[in-house]
Amino acid sequence: MSSYTISSQAYFKIFFHAAKHPHKAVNGVLLGNLANGTVSIDDAVPLLHHWTSLSPMMEIGLDLAGQYADSVGMKLVGYYQASERLDDTTLVPVGEKVVSRIRAGFAQAVAFVIDGEKIGTDDAALIPYISASSVSPWRPFSGEMPPFSSQSSQFRLASSDLPARAVEFVRDEHRHQKFGDFDDHLENVSIDWLRNKECLPETL
Amino acid sequence: MSLSSALERLSTYRTNNTRASQETFEKGCQVLKAGSTPNLGDEGWAFLEQLALASIDVGRLDIADLSLKQLGAKFPRSPRVDVLTGIRMEATESAGVVLQYYDELMDADPTNVAAWKRQISVIRRIGRYEKAVEELSNYLDTFYTDVEGWLELADIYCVCNQYTSALQALSHALALAPQNPFTVLQFAETAYTAGDLPLALKMFLLVVDMGERDLGTDDPPVGINIRGWFGVKLCSRQLVAQPNSPSASNTPISKNLKKIDELATERVLVAYRGNRDTGARQVSDWMAR
Repeated sequence: MSSYTISSQAYFKIFFHAAKHPHKAVNGVLLGNLANGTVSIDDAVPLLHHWTSLSPMMEIGLDLAGQYADSVGMKLVGYYQASERLDDTTLVPVGEKVVSRIRAGFAQAVAFVIDGEKIGTDDAALIPYISASSVSPWRPFSGEMPPFSSQSSQFRLASSDLPARAVEFVRDEHRHQKFGDFDDHLENVSIDWLRNKECLPETL
Repeated sequence: MSLSSALERLSTYRTNNTRASQETFEKGCQVLKAGSTPNLGDEGWAFLEQLALASIDVGRLDIADLSLKQLGAKFPRSPRVDVLTGIRMEATESAGVVLQYYDELMDADPTNVAAWKRQISVIRRIGRYEKAVEELSNYLDTFYTDVEGWLELADIYCVCNQYTSALQALSHALALAPQNPFTVLQFAETAYTAGDLPLALKMFLLVVDMGERDLGTDDPPVGINIRGWFGVKLCSRQLVAQPNSPSASNTPISKNLKKIDELATERVLVAYRGNRDTGARQVSDWMAR
């Protein structure tokens, strides 16, 4: 099985999206590439926070995010989701549908559900869901080495201090307030949901 | 920020029912620190209730308890404070304990509607969707005019993939508040998800009709209308390709589909005028597919 590395940009965006709507479900897609058996997840494009179980805007957002990925030489490689409740870490049916659709174009597709219990800590607040084949169900990853536990895990962060930095960005700099998703963009098209450069640190 | 402007902002949040918990909490603490709550009169108590809710939202239960203590001392046996206490309990107590607490409130005062609604929301939160639907339906039998209740029922149905039932709940909400474009939009998106494209198109068109009735033809769509036009485009394009698309509601398909499709393309692109770097290129490519 392939391994997965999540860049700082992708991690911060997922984190900001969840932090901006603490009492709502949110979702989005992940962009990246496969090289030497490793999927590098380089970027995240946030989709919805309003009606995450309705499909029309999700379909449009997925199409647009896919076109954007093409234009910057990346592919849609995964999906992420935060649930309404902290203790709920199940991948919802909509999420299964979206990640299965992404898998049609990228065999190593992966889904992440945000772990509400870990989101304020120094640990990666992401639970990976994978599926063994195109007919098997999506299940939480259960390899011998827990995800994000060390640099030899199958799931890694580009740098182990990302969770702590993400918390600081939200708590001290309120960077999540500058973050916008496709739902926001549909109300105000000047919001740059595809890039979200404004909320990222300049050094990135 | 001065005390008076903080109070003014908080009052606006209350009027508009804005759930800006972090901001409410920060400004609220400022007011609390100034120690002027008792001098604010009636507004002071409304403020304390607002602060308690925001504190629970941001996890500062110490401040919530402080506010609740003052409210409880001023209004003993107030149903409103009782329910607020229940919400505070929801943050730390088990669902069973909280449900029983709300039961007791309703036994003591069967007219405590807020306690009933909180109870239903807890039942939903612990994933007992069938029970939540049953209770909410009972509730709506008595309080038919509660639009929020119908919207909540529709939302639960959607989570359970029961989109036809969701549409039924939404049609009650629409009958009660026909002038609310957001309910029409939610109806349109639910109809699309349920696979009834002709109905979805009709409702997306209603959204933009309501929103742009008084707009000049050259003015770009704003707010909810952008989403409405995207929806019109999504449906009309598919209906042009499949004119015999099924409609569970037997909604007739307009004969002017092609023109509707062209108009939607034009309106969406107008919305992007002057916004080149935020996805306009992807959108125009998507329109042309």
